[in-house]
Amino acid sequence: MHAYHELVGADQVHGSLYGDPGVFAEEMRQIFTRGWVFVGHESEVAEPGQWVTRRIGREPMILVRDRSEALNVLANRCSHRGTALCWEHRGRDSSFQCTYHAWNFGLDGALRAVPYPAGFEKDHAELGLDRAGQVESYRGFVFANLDGSAGPLSGHLGVGGTDMIDRLCDLSPSDSITLGPNWLGHAVGSNWKMWPESDNDGYHLNWVHASMVSSAPDTYYQETVLGGETGNQSLAVDWGEGHVELDFRPSYRRELAWLGASRDKVPGYCAALEQARGVEAAGRLLWDGPPHGLIFPNLFLGELNIAIIEPVAPDRMVQWHTAVQLEGVDESFNRRLLRQSEAAMGPGAFIVPDDAVTAERMQLAMSGLGVHDAGVRRGWVDMSRGLGREERRADGRRAALISDETTNRGFWRQYRTVMAR
Amino acid sequence: MSGGPTQQVGEAERREIEAFVFHEARLADTSQYGEWEALVTEDMHYWVPAGPALGDPAAGLSYINDNRARLATRIRQLQTGKRHSQTPASPMCRAVTNVEARRAGDGSGGDGGDGGDGGGDEYVVTATQVVYELAVQSTARLQLWPGRVTYRLRRVDGMLRMAAKTVELVTASEPQPNLTFLL
Repeated sequence: MHAYHELVGADQVHGSLYGDPGVFAEEMRQIFTRGWVFVGHESEVAEPGQWVTRRIGREPMILVRDRSEALNVLANRCSHRGTALCWEHRGRDSSFQCTYHAWNFGLDGALRAVPYPAGFEKDHAELGLDRAGQVESYRGFVFANLDGSAGPLSGHLGVGGTDMIDRLCDLSPSDSITLGPNWLGHAVGSNWKMWPESDNDGYHLNWVHASMVSSAPDTYYQETVLGGETGNQSLAVDWGEGHVELDFRPSYRRELAWLGASRDKVPGYCAALEQARGVEAAGRLLWDGPPHGLIFPNLFLGELNIAIIEPVAPDRMVQWHTAVQLEGVDESFNRRLLRQSEAAMGPGAFIVPDDAVTAERMQLAMSGLGVHDAGVRRGWVDMSRGLGREERRADGRRAALISDETTNRGFWRQYRTVMAR
Repeated sequence: MSGGPTQQVGEAERREIEAFVFHEARLADTSQYGEWEALVTEDMHYWVPAGPALGDPAAGLSYINDNRARLATRIRQLQTGKRHSQTPASPMCRAVTNVEARRAGDGSGGDGGDGGDGGGDEYVVTATQVVYELAVQSTARLQLWPGRVTYRLRRVDGMLRMAAKTVELVTASEPQPNLTFLL
């Protein structure tokens, strides 16, 4: 194990953490095997037999709803000789059958039948699929912990994770969201940690996204994150547990700014939300909008997008995303969210590709660093911006100006805790 | 491409269509954004779906799903000179082959959804395309973009113009690297 306390400081981290293969392997164990990880949304597997494939760290998994409606997170790996059981992104089956020797598994992972059974002396009960040690949902968001040691999900989500998911789901008149019809994958030649950072960096927009700002100037980013160091009231927030947020709420100057709309553009939605929450609460929700933050380590709530940060290799990752869809609203409203998602997220969009090329440039620049360089003052990454003006608020949040690196420090503080445990 | 006798194109038309397609490919290869944009109609749809180009593009999430206004923003953004993911522009060359053309009019144009009858002045053209792209902005990797292209071409004031371009990538179901050049 590397000395993570020495490689992650209060206001700097060492560049070798982005590219060292040994660090990557230890992250897969310390963060993705021992901790809670976002896996998917219940609406993706609404019916028994529906499944989707995911990775937890590098381990291929299947999220599936079984006949008793329970959610299972199973290894996508036959317990006989290790063949993948599913090779498409999603499907619906009554069981999983291996194509090698036709071992057949129930939707709960239990081994049901093998051909020529007389040659096997082991009990079938010993030969079920490997599975995540813990699976829990919160308001439709499904999390798993591979080794079963992480304690209850509520402890991981804490105040911040719970609050951000609540604020998103409360925007739906039905109390829960669904996801867009498909996920898009964005393959980036960077370490995965550039994405918890960049997705929640309130400092970079004027430069990384200069072309978007000048070619599409009428977005709500103008009032929430642009306009100079003190030009808005937005906050960079560290909720603890590695959950961080760019809190735009104090900057919005009108209702529905986050939707680029007004009440007369989406009257059906506003009426449905008032019906569900009451006029006053609905008014507040319409003003505040959805969160923009990270639930450690791999779930990005990007306003009305959901993204999964998937590590692939020390210098490769995929950011998967889809749009949030609301229940109990008319189709045109959800179509609007799909179009907004296409504009913002993914390899062809107006925003995130410029984050991707920036992350790749970071990877390029730090590729030569080893952990031994840390001791000779080479290759440190500065993350000190705004450290001296962070405030601990009454609600427990650590907060500073939107352009301060409080969010990035919050991610790395949790990183150090879990990597050094 | 099969089609009734009324959908067949003559040799002169075929040559004109191919010349248009190759010209469009060259402008895209060389990132001549303004010249490329001058080829499109006011109802242009530029579509790179995340799978086969089936059904209504509005119903799903696509890599690119630009109506004319959004395409204008895309071009404007590239022309700022600050579109980092294409600064500098990727060196590219593309092979466009297997070009087949017919007159529109049977509603089976590749740009799902509109199904409009373009009458005698509109063509549906399909081709196979492989773009070789070097990501000089960062990774310096050579990236290959094989796919099937469907164009809807329309004669406007005597000149062919592009009313739709759909690119069905062979790799569409898998994660894509940055795709901010003109495919």
